[in-house]
Amino acid sequence: MDAFPILLSFQVSLVATVLTLALGLPLAWVLARRRFPGHDVVEAAVVLPLVLPPTVLGYYLLVVIGARGPVGRLLGGLGIELAFTWRAAVLAACIGSIALLVKAAQAGFEAVDRRLEQAARTLGRSEWNIFWSVTLPLSWRAVFAGTVLAFCRALGDFGITLMVAGSIPGLTQTMPLAIYDYVQANQMREANLLSLVAVMTALLFLLGLGRLARLRF
Amino acid sequence: MLQLAVRKQLPGFMLDVAWEAGDEVVALFGASGAGKTLTLQCLAGLARPDRGRIVVNDTVFFDDATGTNLPSRRRRLGYVFQGYALFPHLSVADNVGYGLHDRSREERRRRTAEMLERLGLTALADRRPRELSGGQQQRVALGRALAVDPDLLLLDEPLSALDVPLRRQLRTELMSALREWGKATVLVTHDLAEAFQLADRIVIYDDGGIVQAAPKSELLSRPASEQVARLLGVRNILRGTVLKATPEIIELSWRGYVLEAINSPTRTYLPLPGTEVAFFIRPEYVRLIRKDRPVDPGHHMNRMEGAVVLEVDQGTNWTLLVRLDRAGAPAQGDHDLEIEVPKLVYEMLEIARDRRWAISMHRGSIQVLPAA
Repeated sequence: MDAFPILLSFQVSLVATVLTLALGLPLAWVLARRRFPGHDVVEAAVVLPLVLPPTVLGYYLLVVIGARGPVGRLLGGLGIELAFTWRAAVLAACIGSIALLVKAAQAGFEAVDRRLEQAARTLGRSEWNIFWSVTLPLSWRAVFAGTVLAFCRALGDFGITLMVAGSIPGLTQTMPLAIYDYVQANQMREANLLSLVAVMTALLFLLGLGRLARLRF
Repeated sequence: MLQLAVRKQLPGFMLDVAWEAGDEVVALFGASGAGKTLTLQCLAGLARPDRGRIVVNDTVFFDDATGTNLPSRRRRLGYVFQGYALFPHLSVADNVGYGLHDRSREERRRRTAEMLERLGLTALADRRPRELSGGQQQRVALGRALAVDPDLLLLDEPLSALDVPLRRQLRTELMSALREWGKATVLVTHDLAEAFQLADRIVIYDDGGIVQAAPKSELLSRPASEQVARLLGVRNILRGTVLKATPEIIELSWRGYVLEAINSPTRTYLPLPGTEVAFFIRPEYVRLIRKDRPVDPGHHMNRMEGAVVLEVDQGTNWTLLVRLDRAGAPAQGDHDLEIEVPKLVYEMLEIARDRRWAISMHRGSIQVLPAA
């Protein structure tokens, strides 16, 4: 059996999780701490990927990053290809999992007593500084839980990845896609093994999450 | 020096206040929901007024005319929140040093240690807030606010989270800390005793507005209106009709008696005859006339007769509720006057046994309140 899909899946999920954190944390903070017109629209849009068929998400993503899409054309001009590369798989994983992080982090931020942030403000700290010294240290459990969920979801993405990255063996074929191919080819032993790896990985992360969250710092 | 004029509209509530203060302790006194905390938040930059101007020591904090709104972090103030809002994830030392982030590490350590020492918290430096008693938390909150050497100190109900005996002790402690500090301080409280002990000047809030702002010495002797007197918890607030008013005296008709009161020497008030006015007499200033002594008209003014209908043991004092003999409805429900006598007097005069008394009120004790 080829180990490539396992390694690629971890690489894609890791990069996707970093991207998800970079985009998701500011979004969660804004949703938790700012009131603006269209707040509810943004909130609904964040959750949308959880309920839409992956093919729909994949289709739209492809429209945007495909060779003739706006982003695809822009990056193409710079010599960067997105569609049907592992980078597209990263975007796919990110879209599939960002809602899990945003919702968890938003709930975590909202649970932080606002007067603590106000106190920090009167003590001369900037908003950026307050986030790192007060808000995040008091909500890290929720943020951490959201991150682990997002990572596990990224590992398991099938539909969106298939649409935008294809299932090119040795190039963009992640674990879930490889399992599908093995089953199609009636290679049940390999399908079995890879499925077991997927289950064990997710189980391990979720268990670790549970134990860590009980620790006091 | 602090000048504040603020208007802010909230759903179902309007704050519209203006007051000034020097380098002194100002207490904002009033019921919950009167707008005291909102004023503090406007001062701190945590709430934005719709209109107004806030100036502290020549620094403009807020001015809607010029669009100035200095961010909280640049207002150089110390804010002690109600319930303290200590950072639960930081030690006592880190809480106190939190505002010193822009100083050098050495300076921060020195200043934090100094503050902990001053507040007697050195032994608790490594504890977390949840491991502290209410009184210790209060001190940490004060230390955190004062560590940055602010220009203005804001205290929101600093003692209300504490039990009564501890509250009294900490009030004294807080008083000496404020004396020592000596800069402009704004204290929000709904506890009159706290306001009187800690403040130099008291601003009375009611439903989003100010009903009186005065040095505390002026407040109890000369409340600006019946409303203020009621908010101050003044007892025996009564209503009578003016018979005659001169710059020296005001003559009132009340419960079938004619009462003579001295007109306020600083604020002569001349209501027209027939005007209904409120007046009050403090329960400890109503005198019982001893039956074993001759009546002295120069001493016993505004005489009346009545009977004790209820008495309440207050520990060191007795409160007597007296109903006058004159026909008509009693002025305060089932009684006309509340009288307070020391326990010793109560026992000497055998009031428990002897219920009928002649009483008098010195004309200097009757305070006529200007109509609101």
